[in-house]
Amino acid sequence: MKTIDLVERIEGEAKLSCSWKNGVICDASIDFLNFRGFEYILKGKSPLDALVYTPRICGICGQAHLKASVEALEDIYKNLNEPLTLTPKSLLLREIGLNIEIIDSHIKWFYMFIMPDIVKLQNSDLGIYTPLKGSRWLEASKTASETIKGLALIGGQWPHTSYMIPGGVMSDPTLLELTSIQNYMDYAIRFFENSISGVDFDTYLSFSNIKDLDLLKGDLEYFKNIAITNSLQKLGTSHDRFISLASSSLFDEGIIRQRTAYKIDLGKIKESSEHTFSLNKEENNSSKTTWSKSVSYNNSFFETGPLSRALISKESNRKFIKELHKQYNDSAMVRVLARMDELAHLLESTKNLISKVDISEESFIKPKYSLKDIENGQGKAVVEACRGSLYHNVIIQNGKIKNYDVITPTVWNLGPKNKNENGVAQEAIIGSPNIEIAKIILRSFDVCSVCTTH
Amino acid sequence: MTNKQKPTIVWFQAITCNGNTHSLLSANSARLELFLNSFDLIYHPSLTVDKTLEDILNQKEKIDYLLVEGAISSNKDIFALKNSTTNDLLNKLALKANYIIAVGSCACYGGIHKKFEEDKTISGIKENINEKILKNLKHEIINLNGCPVHPEWILQTLFTLKAYGKISLDKEKRPIELYSTLAHHGCTRNEYFEWKIEGSFGEKEGCLFYEQGCRGPMTHSSCNKILWNDISSKTRVGMPCIGCTENDFPRNDMLETKKNIGIPQDVPLGISKRAYLSLTGIAKTFKIDRLNKKLME
Repeated sequence: MKTIDLVERIEGEAKLSCSWKNGVICDASIDFLNFRGFEYILKGKSPLDALVYTPRICGICGQAHLKASVEALEDIYKNLNEPLTLTPKSLLLREIGLNIEIIDSHIKWFYMFIMPDIVKLQNSDLGIYTPLKGSRWLEASKTASETIKGLALIGGQWPHTSYMIPGGVMSDPTLLELTSIQNYMDYAIRFFENSISGVDFDTYLSFSNIKDLDLLKGDLEYFKNIAITNSLQKLGTSHDRFISLASSSLFDEGIIRQRTAYKIDLGKIKESSEHTFSLNKEENNSSKTTWSKSVSYNNSFFETGPLSRALISKESNRKFIKELHKQYNDSAMVRVLARMDELAHLLESTKNLISKVDISEESFIKPKYSLKDIENGQGKAVVEACRGSLYHNVIIQNGKIKNYDVITPTVWNLGPKNKNENGVAQEAIIGSPNIEIAKIILRSFDVCSVCTTH
Repeated sequence: MTNKQKPTIVWFQAITCNGNTHSLLSANSARLELFLNSFDLIYHPSLTVDKTLEDILNQKEKIDYLLVEGAISSNKDIFALKNSTTNDLLNKLALKANYIIAVGSCACYGGIHKKFEEDKTISGIKENINEKILKNLKHEIINLNGCPVHPEWILQTLFTLKAYGKISLDKEKRPIELYSTLAHHGCTRNEYFEWKIEGSFGEKEGCLFYEQGCRGPMTHSSCNKILWNDISSKTRVGMPCIGCTENDFPRNDMLETKKNIGIPQDVPLGISKRAYLSLTGIAKTFKIDRLNKKLME
C-alpha cells in the first residue's frame, strides 16, 4: 500500500509518500516541489549585494545566511593574501546576533511545530498549547518576540537585516543597549525555567545523567511522557552519524561515525542531483522527485543540527544529551530534547558573550580595496544555523559573483537517498506505525522547505 | 461560538521565504494578542491546525480578508503547492475573498523572487488575479510593501478596514498613512544629513546617504516612526535603508551610493539636483563642532 500526505506546519510544504507493510512504513520519500533559484539569482550580482539577498533565502535563519555570506566574502580576501582585520567586538556582535536568532527559532519550533502534534497524540483538545489561542502558545510567541528585540538592537530589525559587512558590523551598540540585550535573554531564561523545563535554570544546566530526565517538570516533562507513551524514544532513529561543520563559543566542528573526530575537510562534502529536478525539463525522468539535492561527507549521509552539535561538543556540560543518546540513540525524543537543551545552553552562552563586548573597540575596519576590484577570487564559509550546518561557497570574477553555492542544513537532513543509503530523515521515518508519528519524526528535524530547496 | 462575528482571515503563502510571517509573529505581543482576539485567522500554513488549505478551497463561506505572502507563478514545474500552481490557488482563493492584501514586496511586485529569470512568469498578485474577480472585491487590492512588511502595517490596515471598510491608498496602492512619509522621517541621523556630514559603517555618528547607499530620503516607509521590534530601525543602528518598500527593490549595489563625479546620482525626493547641490555647498561651509565629534566622549 502506498499513501501520500502533504505536510504543512513546517516552513513551507513537503510531500511525504509512504509505502506500508504490515501496518508499518517500509519505505518513504520526502519531496519538495518548489524551487526559488537563489543560486541563479546571485549570478552576476555585485558581491556585497549577496548580504541583502542571502538572508532572504529564509525568513527564520536569515542571520545564519548573512554570517555565512560575510565570512565567505572575507575568505576571498584571505585567499588573496590580504586578510581583513576584525575586532573581537565585531566577531562577538555577529555571534550574539546569530545566537539570538537560533534561540527565537528553537522556541517557535517547539511550540508551533512540535507541541500541537505531540498533545494531539493524547488529547483532542490542545488546551493551553492551541495555536493562536492557548495561553502557553501565546506566552511562547511573546517570549520569542521579546528575545528577538536583542537582535534588533544590534541589527536594526528582525527579520532581514544585513548588519554584518566584510570588515566587521555596521552597528555600534551602547552599554545601555548591551544591558537591554541581557534583559531580553533573562526574560527567555525565566520562560525556560517556569514553562519549558520547570526547574531552576542552573539546576537544568547541571543535568548530566539519564536519571535527570525524571527531574524535568513543565512542558518538557509533558512532552517526555507523551513521547514515551508513544515510543518516540525508540522511533525515528536514523544512521546515527553526525556532522557539525563550524565552531563557535558553544559548538565544535567534527563528525561522529562510531567515534568523534574533531576535524572537518570541506573537500569531502559532495552535493548530488541524482534525484533532483533540473530546470532543463528534458533531463527530468521518473527518478527525479524533488527539488532538494542530497549532500554527503566522505560518501556517507550525516545528520546535522542540535543533536549533532550536542554529541560533538567537547564541553562536558552537554553531558545530559550525550547520556540520553547512549540510552535512546538518535530517536525522535532525543532529537527534540537536544534542541531544547541547546536553547538553554545558548541562552547561557549568549549572556556570557554579551558581557565580553568591549564597546571601546571598533565595530568596523574598512577593507583596503573593494570586492568589485577583484578579478578572480573564491571564498567559503561554514556556520552553525538553527537547523544545523550551513555552507556558502562564492566565486567572483571581474568584480561580480560568478557562482554561489549554498548547502543548507536541511539538505543534509532532508535530501533524497543515493545509491548506497536512504536520506537521513527518510531512514528515520521508516518503521513508523502511523502517519501522525511519521510526521512528528519528520518535524523532529525542524523541516524548512524554503531552506531545503532555496 | 464568539468567533462567528469575527472577520475571517486566510493567509496564503506562495513563493516566499516566510519572512512576513515571522515579522508578524515578532509584533508587539499585546498587539498580536488583540489581533488574534479581534479576527479569526482560520488558515495559515505554518500556524493553524484546524483547517487545511483544501478545506478552505472547498468551503462555501466567503473569506473576509485574504492575505497573500509571496510572489506568484503559473509555472507548475518549478513551484507547486497542493499539486497546483500558485496562480491557480490564488485565483480560487481570490474568488472567495472580500478584501485582498498583498503582504510584502514579493506579493506586491514579485520582489526578490522576480529576479529568478529562469521562471519568467513570476510576478505580484495583481498581475495574476483574473480581471473579473478584481471587480467583485469590496476594495481594490492593498499593497503592503516591504521586505519584510512591518507587523504594525498589517495590523493597522486590518483594524482600519474592520472599522471603516476602506483605507486611502497612494498611487502604488499602499495605505497613504503608512507610506506617505519617508524612511528618513524620524531617523536619528537627520542632523548629520542636514549638515552633510558623512558617516561610515560601525559608528553612531554621520549620515549613511553619501557613501553607504542609504535610500532613507527617497523611500516611502514609516520604519523610523514606529520602529522595528518596538525599539530599533536599520538606520538607527547604522545600516543604510535599502529601499525595500519601493517597487524597484531589490536594486543593484544596495550598500553603496551611486555617484557621478562624486555627487550622489539620486538626490532626496522632491528637490532638483541643482538646488540640492547648492544647498549642500552652503551646508558644508558650516563647521559644527558638536557634529564632528563623537556623540559620547
